[in-house]
Amino acid sequence: MNAAVHQRTGQADAAEAFAGWLQGLGGNGDQNSAGGIDWLESEREQAAARVRTQLVPTNKSEGWRYTGLRKLIEQGFVNVDEPVTALTPDDIGEFLIPELDAHRVVLVNGRFSDALSSLGELPKGVRIGSLRDLLESDPASVKGVLTRIAGEGRHVFASLNTAAIDDGLVLQLDRGAIAERPIEVIHLSIGMDEPRVAQPRNLLSLGDGAQAQVIERYVSLGDALYCTNSVLEIALGRDAVLKHTRIQQESRNAFHITGLYLSQEANCRYAGTNIGLGGTWARTDLVTRFAGEHAECDLKGLYLAGDQQLIDYHMDVRHALPNCASRETFKGILYGKGRAVFDGLVYVARDAQKTDAEMSNRNLILSPNAEVDTKPQLEIYADDVKCSHGTTVGQIEPEMLFYLRSRGIAASLARRMLCLGFAGEIIDALGPESLRDYVAEQVGQRLEQAPLE
Amino acid sequence: MSAIPAEATTAEEKVETTGQYDELVNAGYEHGFITEIESETLPPGLDEGVIRTISARKGEPEWMTEWRLAAYRKWLEMPTPNWASVHYPPIDYQSISYFSAPKKKDGPKSLDEVDPALLETYEKLGIPIEEQKALAGVAVDAVFDSVSVATTFREKLHEAGVIFCSISEALQEYPELVQKYIGTVVPPTDNFYVGLNSAVFTDGTFVYVPKNTRCPMELSTYFRINEAKTGQFERTLIVADEGSYVSYLEGCTAPQRDENQLHAAVVELIALDDAEIKYSTVQNWYPGDENGKGGIYNFVTKRGDCRGARSKISWTQVETGSAITWKYPSCILRGDDSVGEFYSVAVTKGMQQADTGTKMIHLGKNTSSTIVSKGISAQHGQQAYRGLVRIAGKAEGARNHTQCDSLLIGDQSAAHTFPYIEVKNPSAKMEHEATTSKISEDQLFYCRARGLTEEDAVSMIVNGFCKEVFNELPMEFAVEAQKLLSISLEGAVG
Repeated sequence: MNAAVHQRTGQADAAEAFAGWLQGLGGNGDQNSAGGIDWLESEREQAAARVRTQLVPTNKSEGWRYTGLRKLIEQGFVNVDEPVTALTPDDIGEFLIPELDAHRVVLVNGRFSDALSSLGELPKGVRIGSLRDLLESDPASVKGVLTRIAGEGRHVFASLNTAAIDDGLVLQLDRGAIAERPIEVIHLSIGMDEPRVAQPRNLLSLGDGAQAQVIERYVSLGDALYCTNSVLEIALGRDAVLKHTRIQQESRNAFHITGLYLSQEANCRYAGTNIGLGGTWARTDLVTRFAGEHAECDLKGLYLAGDQQLIDYHMDVRHALPNCASRETFKGILYGKGRAVFDGLVYVARDAQKTDAEMSNRNLILSPNAEVDTKPQLEIYADDVKCSHGTTVGQIEPEMLFYLRSRGIAASLARRMLCLGFAGEIIDALGPESLRDYVAEQVGQRLEQAPLE
Repeated sequence: MSAIPAEATTAEEKVETTGQYDELVNAGYEHGFITEIESETLPPGLDEGVIRTISARKGEPEWMTEWRLAAYRKWLEMPTPNWASVHYPPIDYQSISYFSAPKKKDGPKSLDEVDPALLETYEKLGIPIEEQKALAGVAVDAVFDSVSVATTFREKLHEAGVIFCSISEALQEYPELVQKYIGTVVPPTDNFYVGLNSAVFTDGTFVYVPKNTRCPMELSTYFRINEAKTGQFERTLIVADEGSYVSYLEGCTAPQRDENQLHAAVVELIALDDAEIKYSTVQNWYPGDENGKGGIYNFVTKRGDCRGARSKISWTQVETGSAITWKYPSCILRGDDSVGEFYSVAVTKGMQQADTGTKMIHLGKNTSSTIVSKGISAQHGQQAYRGLVRIAGKAEGARNHTQCDSLLIGDQSAAHTFPYIEVKNPSAKMEHEATTSKISEDQLFYCRARGLTEEDAVSMIVNGFCKEVFNELPMEFAVEAQKLLSISLEGAVG
């Protein structure tokens, strides 16, 4: 009884601490860029109010059942204040993907950096810039999109981000605009004297028929300890095509939260691949809403969680309209004390007939202390649909390892080969080739370094 | 033998279809009739006094009374579970009468002394008690409301050393066995409904199969809720000692009522080393009328504990009744090399809601489990599979295969899948697959082209869809289950 009471008080304390912490982060006062824009002010205030009133998630909350927040709360993150200006383009050399020909945008600690970005010549109708600048020069251009796609978001961290909207990346493609070269976005984080949280707000908006490829990368300088709480809103117009790769390769001390909110008009196609390699604690929510029929959404993912790492993907694909297709293919490799959480929900509303939804989550566990918690859910209210999901958890077959070993291949290399074979489905779909090679190498190196157990 | 009258559907009754799905709508509840017999019923309400009264009436030992009271006190602090995807108005637990027993006239010594009205009810249900002795292999412990009134084949079982009796009787005759095992699989604090059941259960079944004994016949209990406004709180406890085998059948129907009736049963299975328990259920309680009025709330906790090495527990269920079903027959695979199985067919139509599934908790080495769940949702039926597969860190070589398929009939029906999979061991192998679909036009066309009516075609396809589960049922049950399925879907598909 006593223990129970203690535990309850303990939880209440943690909840209180967390609530206090959240509120402190909710806004950063005068510095904020949204001053004077009524609609945004109002959105921010509402979000701040939600932060104040929303219940603090605990492991009793369904969305946080397997993902404890204690570790995050204990860090006592405070908001990033000053932009980092000391870096030169040479400093980011180590992060570049060899031979990748792209328009490059760099954000440092959530702030758009003109000095480090090399946009090159952008095609007609393609605009890339900082949210901060845009809110000063032309706020009307993001009205009705910014904050509208994410809405209240899936949880308190999205509200927190909205309440603190300040800077981030804005990529806009006019109707029919086509960006041939990929657009690479490097989110660079640098550790500060105390643990800081950066809350970039990013926006990708493609007009009708526009096409682009975006490669987003989260990287950090050294072993920095920090938190990123980002929200990315993506609006795709009719017939638009977006190929989107997100590579999270942050420091092993980093905390990472992303909410990706996607709105798809009729006939458009979104193909997203999420590669989760870094961070000590990473939570990603991918939320899709179909706003028109015959739209397609393809979500792929590969995560590698090793010692002291938790990687969590939550997916919410909502079919409210008929004739849309969604596909989720996530694969995970776990070793050491690595933990992964996969929580996918496909919701098919009453009128969403002819929905075609597929979800698959496959996991390889390489060590006795690794853990995977997976929850692929279907919620279906329409009868003429094709929906399926599949999950597997398994290990490398000893026979396969033996086969390779007997041909003189070292154990670590054999394991790398087998795991890359397993992950091939995700990696091979990446393009261009330089990106594919880079990701395969990153994943391969991590696997080879992983302790053999 | 048959819990379902076989003559329920005749060819004449079937309306010829013209390709329209909505032609046949009103297949009323086949077993909706009420037998009026005098009952000894406690007034509605629940407090410690009621529990003491129940315990005293049953002549239970002191420890049992205390056990009930402890459960009650915990229950008062427990919240009602609200995570299932079912919707119903709050239940007033004080408006329920917690005890109802058919009046005893010095206790019937043989069937002749049993209230004729009661016997008639069984006849209507197709449980010919008089003929039971002549029928091969099945002993029936018939539960009418809450007290067992007739038990057959006791002697034969007794010869084999198998104890098969009501739990009240067991509490008097084998108190030490009951005390040793009751609440060890499903503790009274497990959940809200278990708490309530533990406090007020009035009857149920107790089975004990001694070491190295194969139970000579299939054991069977038919439940029937009859007295208006009485919740039914059954408690079943089955213990299979080392090297034994038992197959238990549970089947139920209920008379038509307007009042929602609560049913919160608890079933505990314990399998020791090398023992096997096979538990089959056909549930066909009153589902409510086409507007969802009335119908049984079926909030059941069933759990099996594979306590011994190489033990096996297998759950098979065919769920076609009840307004709301909330039920997750589970297996705790504690013993090394133990096996858990769950085969389920659930049908929801009209306004029925079902949230059902299983939990397979792998603790021992080389444990394996199989889950096959088939859901059929028609009209406004709402259905969810909710399951957990947990492979603990020490469960070396654990294996699970899960398959849940849903079939949707009509655009107002719904089917959901909420699987939870937690794996903490690298040598585990687990697979989960789920599909949701409707009966394809091609399949229907193929059958129709060969002269089958649309209704027969649908029935055939649905039976094929459920075949994997029916195969697991004891043969007589399997035949009934198929019939039941056809009857259940009759109003739903044209």
